[in-house]
Amino acid sequence: MQSNRLQNSYSYESERMRVSGTQAPNHKDDAALIARIRAGDQSAMADLYDRYAGVVYGVALRVLASTAAAEDVVQEVFLQLWRNPQAFNADRGRLAPWLAVIARNRAIDFLRKRPPEEDIDEMPISTGVNLEDEASQKLVVDKIRGVLGELPQDQRKALEMAFFEGMTHSEIAGKTGDPLGTVKTRIRTGLLALRKVLA
Amino acid sequence: MNAHPQFAETLALYAMGALDNPQDLAALESHLGTCGDCRRELEALRADTALLALSVTGPQPPARSRDRLLSAVAAEPRMERRTSKPYAVGRLRPRWFTFAPVMVMLLLAVFSILLWRDLRNTRRALRHTQAQMEQIQTELARTNSELAEAKMVHDLLHASDAWPLTLVSKKTPPQPQMKMIYSRQKGSLFLLASNTPALPENKIYELWLLPADGSAPMAAGWFKPDGKGNGMIFHKLKSNGIEAKGFAVTVEPSGGSQTPTMPIVMEPAG
Repeated sequence: MQSNRLQNSYSYESERMRVSGTQAPNHKDDAALIARIRAGDQSAMADLYDRYAGVVYGVALRVLASTAAAEDVVQEVFLQLWRNPQAFNADRGRLAPWLAVIARNRAIDFLRKRPPEEDIDEMPISTGVNLEDEASQKLVVDKIRGVLGELPQDQRKALEMAFFEGMTHSEIAGKTGDPLGTVKTRIRTGLLALRKVLA
Repeated sequence: MNAHPQFAETLALYAMGALDNPQDLAALESHLGTCGDCRRELEALRADTALLALSVTGPQPPARSRDRLLSAVAAEPRMERRTSKPYAVGRLRPRWFTFAPVMVMLLLAVFSILLWRDLRNTRRALRHTQAQMEQIQTELARTNSELAEAKMVHDLLHASDAWPLTLVSKKTPPQPQMKMIYSRQKGSLFLLASNTPALPENKIYELWLLPADGSAPMAAGWFKPDGKGNGMIFHKLKSNGIEAKGFAVTVEPSGGSQTPTMPIVMEPAG
């Protein structure tokens, strides 16, 4: 199942390219969107969904490998943002990466059958990546996938087990048979490789 | 990157929620509480994980998912929420920690109320005690004043050069006279005699109280007049409240008698 999941993570490219009508959100749009949501504008939630449902659903599907469960994560993440739009600070980051991490955390909760949190995390997620238009977004995603593809297999595998399967470093070491220190190093090196390429 | 090297790898695990060694976790969270560089590095590592998450962006949920969300939003009452929480270092923080400040505030409020009530009662007791002390001081001052006045009278009456005089009409020869004051409530009396006839060596004048209830006369003091016929009695009865219908003075043997010896030589006028 592990290998299937890893393979699935790269089969999304063709599906993503088929998606039509993807918006090109920028930083100002994010702030305006959140302001409308804070004001109670329900149509802003429709715009939010249209822009970022692919981000949230993609992450949830990758983690849970279940369309029904991924839909539930989408519902929960967007509804929690509707209930508490203050959780996102437009001055400290952008919606896409923030929603992606929130979706991942919720999906891991589902995976581990943990009771869902009542509130969404308010952690700042600020990336230096340019997501202001569709071309930039595609470029970024392609770059990330390219970097991941170039990573040594063991390093990439450790990253994905930790992030998409919610495994701790001890669980990864137990499953792969690698020393704990090696697992730690692989995870950190893999993350820094992503940052280095996109900086 | 200026983060501390000894925390570099655990920071990366922490950013992914993959750090499960309790000691490492405690040490890192403690360090994050004081190290801004490592907090910034943690934020950067989370951004890195976001890139990882974005790598799987693409597939769209079915159309029913959009309808479901918008229906839920329409049905959801809009609730104003609190402002942003302060910096949170991890997702493993227990939920109860969020309520700890509220509980502490409530306990402090209860403690403050109890303390305030205790202080208020103490102040009331202090004010009451102060009022009592002021009353005692007032009474003491009045007593001292009365005592000073009594002492002046006493000193005057017992002065070696005290000169008792009785002023009468010029046509009237000097008559034996006794002036007295009796207080039933205080159970005491005072008598001042003048111009009384001289007595044999073994005799004295004795004052008697005649009770209103008809009981036997009560001895009320005695005096032996000086060479000029003057004398004085200050007597405290054995009990207060005795109502008198009259007084009488008789001549008795020195030392006084238990019962009066007739005749009565002095009695109230009228």
